[in-house]
Amino acid sequence: MTVGGGAGGAPSAIDPKKLRVYGLAGALVGIYLAAILNSVLGTDIFSILAAAGAVAAAVMGANAVRRVCGYGIGTGVPSIGMLALGMGIVGASFGLSTAEQLGISMAGVIIALVYAMVFGYIVGAIANKVMGFNIPIMEEGLTDLSGAGAMAIIGWSYAVSGSLAYADMVTKVFNTGYLAIIFICGGLAILHPFNANLGPDEKQDRTLVNGLMVGSLATVAVGLCSLATLSTTAALITIVIGAAAWYYFYVWYYRLVKRDAAAVVGTGLLPPSAL
Amino acid sequence: MNFDALTIVYILEIVVGGLMVGIGVHFVPVGGAPAAMAQATGIGTGTVQLAAGSGLTGLLAAGLMMSVTDNIWPILASGAVGAMIMMDATMLTGGWIYAYAVGAPFASAKVNYDPITGYSQPPYVAPGTVGQGIPTVCYVSGTIGALMGGIGGAMIYYPLMMTNHNPSLSALFAIGIFLVNAVLASWNIQGTIEGFHDPKFKRWPKAFRSCLVATLILALVAVTITGGA
Repeated sequence: MTVGGGAGGAPSAIDPKKLRVYGLAGALVGIYLAAILNSVLGTDIFSILAAAGAVAAAVMGANAVRRVCGYGIGTGVPSIGMLALGMGIVGASFGLSTAEQLGISMAGVIIALVYAMVFGYIVGAIANKVMGFNIPIMEEGLTDLSGAGAMAIIGWSYAVSGSLAYADMVTKVFNTGYLAIIFICGGLAILHPFNANLGPDEKQDRTLVNGLMVGSLATVAVGLCSLATLSTTAALITIVIGAAAWYYFYVWYYRLVKRDAAAVVGTGLLPPSAL
Repeated sequence: MNFDALTIVYILEIVVGGLMVGIGVHFVPVGGAPAAMAQATGIGTGTVQLAAGSGLTGLLAAGLMMSVTDNIWPILASGAVGAMIMMDATMLTGGWIYAYAVGAPFASAKVNYDPITGYSQPPYVAPGTVGQGIPTVCYVSGTIGALMGGIGGAMIYYPLMMTNHNPSLSALFAIGIFLVNAVLASWNIQGTIEGFHDPKFKRWPKAFRSCLVATLILALVAVTITGGA
């Protein structure tokens, strides 16, 4: 199984507290800005902002993954990403459904975030106290992860539904099955960066830029889904901006890989003797 | 939303389902990356992938049965059979690859004699490895694990479906609960286990307590969710 790199937590250039603020604020601002602009102007072309918020949350999640998995959890990095999205999906559907029942659909995001983070903290406490992981940042890491999972699900779901109303979410995202795509693509944005970059030479900036890259790719996937649910203009905006962001972060990531690699050489095809 | 007696029954069903998933994971022979290189016993992938695979198959089977009846017993049975077929097919075809392509003899490094066939194991364990392939006891254990996972998944799906009447919402929510329990259980066994004969299996009470708390919190909110428009 894949276990984390250096024991005792991975070194980081950007403080996790700062990243948490950026991630949560980015997600909330993105989703609410998209919701307000869309409803005030009576359009759906601002749905991309919610996807950008989801990417911010996913990067925060990716940082939490690298912090927790840096201690080595023994089950591979993908498990913790799936846990994040599992907690996130429960939090997201509970938040949106409760807000609808209370008649304040705008509050759904906050309810989802609070529930997800509390549940994440409890799961972290269980892991430390009952299972004896003894990872000092487990509670903190899982709180971040769970919140990131919920925000990623809601952000990308909004980019498909174009509305925070629970009924729209259910008919456009749940019933169509697009949530499964969001689940896996969003999960990849959270778990893949550390899974791909782990090792003794893991660097925070390289991991997080990889997270931005995968998050942009998830945005493209979500944009393709929204072709069926939103106006063509809104879907195309999401796809084009997502693809442009992916290319930008891909180039950036490649630069960082070249910076950290001992050497980048072309090996060519297999020699004839090996075929 | 009012918490009547039926709601409490639904909550209990979700909790029992979550516990069955958590315990079921302990039965499935997972070897992780070492097993993929035939250096450890079990299926060569992670617990969560296996649990998700069998759980999804179980959910599909349970959902199909739920479309024709509301009776819980055929739904549970159908979920269990679906998950068992998936897990057995994985172990069988995986076993063919270990036997005929990798060329490794099936051997458990955790016991001296296979508890089911009684065959001696240590002579067949290659030096430097912790067993190879999927011996009979692991296969039987994996089938039991899939049975529990499938019943557990169906038992989560059924009450969700009864409260919100929306198959896709229930299925995705059930996957969420399923994954939380599967990951907690796989942390408990630290990623690899051979089955019920493995010494790590004795840790199941820890997973029981963890999954109980986690699923209870999820179940309390699960029954409040409506099916939308």
